[in-house]
Amino acid sequence: MPSIETNGLTKRFGEDVVAVDSLDLTIEDGEIFGFLGPNGAGKSTTINMLLDFIRPTEGSAQVFGMDAQREAAAIRERIGVLPEGYGFDDYLTGREYMEWAVETKDADDDPEQLLDLVGIREDAGRVAAGYSKGMQQRLAFGMALADDPDLLILDEPSTGLDPNGIQHMRSVIRDRAEGGTTVFFSSHILSEVEAVCDRVGVMNEGRLVAMDSIEGLRESASGQATIELECASVPEVDGVADIDGVGSVDVAGTKLTATCTDPSAKVDVVKRVDRRAEIVDILADNTSLEELFNQYTGGGRDGDGDVPTGDAVERVESQEASA
Amino acid sequence: MSTVTVAKKDFKAARRSKLLWAAAIVLGLIAAFVGYVSGNAPGGDTQQVRELFRVLTLILGILLPIVALVASYLAIAGEREGGGIKFLLSLPNTRREVFIGKLLSRNGIVAGGVAFMYVAAISTALTRHGAFPAAMVFGTLLVTLVYGGTFVSIALAMSSAAASRSRAIAGAFGTYFVLVILYVFPIVSFADIARWLHTTILGAERNPDLYNAVQYTSPYLAYRKAVNLVVPTEMREIVFMSSVPDEVSYGSVEANEALPIYLQDEFSVVVLAFWLGVPLLVGYWLFERADLE
Repeated sequence: MPSIETNGLTKRFGEDVVAVDSLDLTIEDGEIFGFLGPNGAGKSTTINMLLDFIRPTEGSAQVFGMDAQREAAAIRERIGVLPEGYGFDDYLTGREYMEWAVETKDADDDPEQLLDLVGIREDAGRVAAGYSKGMQQRLAFGMALADDPDLLILDEPSTGLDPNGIQHMRSVIRDRAEGGTTVFFSSHILSEVEAVCDRVGVMNEGRLVAMDSIEGLRESASGQATIELECASVPEVDGVADIDGVGSVDVAGTKLTATCTDPSAKVDVVKRVDRRAEIVDILADNTSLEELFNQYTGGGRDGDGDVPTGDAVERVESQEASA
Repeated sequence: MSTVTVAKKDFKAARRSKLLWAAAIVLGLIAAFVGYVSGNAPGGDTQQVRELFRVLTLILGILLPIVALVASYLAIAGEREGGGIKFLLSLPNTRREVFIGKLLSRNGIVAGGVAFMYVAAISTALTRHGAFPAAMVFGTLLVTLVYGGTFVSIALAMSSAAASRSRAIAGAFGTYFVLVILYVFPIVSFADIARWLHTTILGAERNPDLYNAVQYTSPYLAYRKAVNLVVPTEMREIVFMSSVPDEVSYGSVEANEALPIYLQDEFSVVVLAFWLGVPLLVGYWLFERADLE
């Protein structure tokens, strides 16, 4: 049974805002799923529907086979959530918040241990409202971990965390996933998703525009790879441009730059040049997932809205005018 | 179970609010002051104390709605605007449990304020008069808690309907204005408006019972009439004088019984029950259906 399944899930706000448009999503038990997309792509709206914070206009969502709306309470027994837009606005300490989460979940966890796990045990006696954003994020993450949930839903979990915090959170997520927890990881930061997820779904303008493993996405990229070779002397370029998969070759002084349409052609370029000139340095640059992400999402809010057609890419007919 | 956990957390946070403590202390001081200046009523010590509690209910009639509205208007709207609702509903709580939990805790807070006043009043009464008319003290306490509960219900409904803090504030102000001020303010009160519509626009004969019935829809007047149910007969207040027949003297038991049933003191129970229950149903219905973002 999939952990999360949505069928034609749609949410409209008013007449003409379609936040989520006929989303069909299946997240299998035990996977770490990355839910990627620019701001306003509909990621949080989807999560809010999974949690029954908001109600779908059409379609349905199921968590562990239970209807997100009708069986919200039973679902909440089995999930841990790091929500977006939360606030610690009661006059309670971090420890009291954690104790409250543990008590509400009827969990056996030791609140101290959870506080320790997310690195805020020393500050647990302070009022949570006074925490920095990063510390609040740690506390919220710790509360989500209580009662070892079967599914972790994390909405932009790295917000406000320092690099150490991000590293640590990743390792905790991986630990939990190894223990059998399904993880639904929503983020607009590609490297975040790349670092932890098995599979990725890319949202844009309320629609799922790509769904694959990280490797699969990379392969489906129509982008190019470049290789720069710094040589001891001015390299000769004869024949380099004739190698299969090489688009163009450019020499500037002792530096040769080849643009490859097929990334595997880079090796051939190095071999060919090395026969005639001593190579001092190599700089290779694959199409970054960053570029791929921009391709899928048309640059997000800041792009011109051109989304290329392709196997994994759906044409988005209209682009909402940037506000 | 969850309901209790929600209420406990809410109450715990409220207990740390300096503002609430300040309000409770002011309420206590008001009660102590009333206890100190009263005592000029005819009769013995017990009668003095009874009179003190009667004055206390008159003050509570105007003051308690403010206390209850202020204590409750952010119960739901504040959580929505501040993002606390995200935690409440990510954890295994249903919306019903959150709603009822908030209801319990906010009633508890209001009851705490009332308790401050009663403790201060009882202390002054015992010190000055050495009398404790238990029936009247506990009777008025009960009626007062119910009255406070009606405004907690109303505020909670407003809070559920409002998606933001500012709308909730407007709702609380509006409620006090409509349900208290507009019923008691001379010339433009609901009864005056009803009389004007009835006699001037419709050209009908004056019908005081009708205007009083309009007036009786207020929880404020219902409270004053409900207090009559728990005080000695001779202390009853005649609220709807214009409906009392000429041949009946104001101070008599018959003054109440001569009224149509819907104007009698007993009917206040119906009015209070309405304001206690209906807003809750509406508020819960709104909260259950709301998109919480």
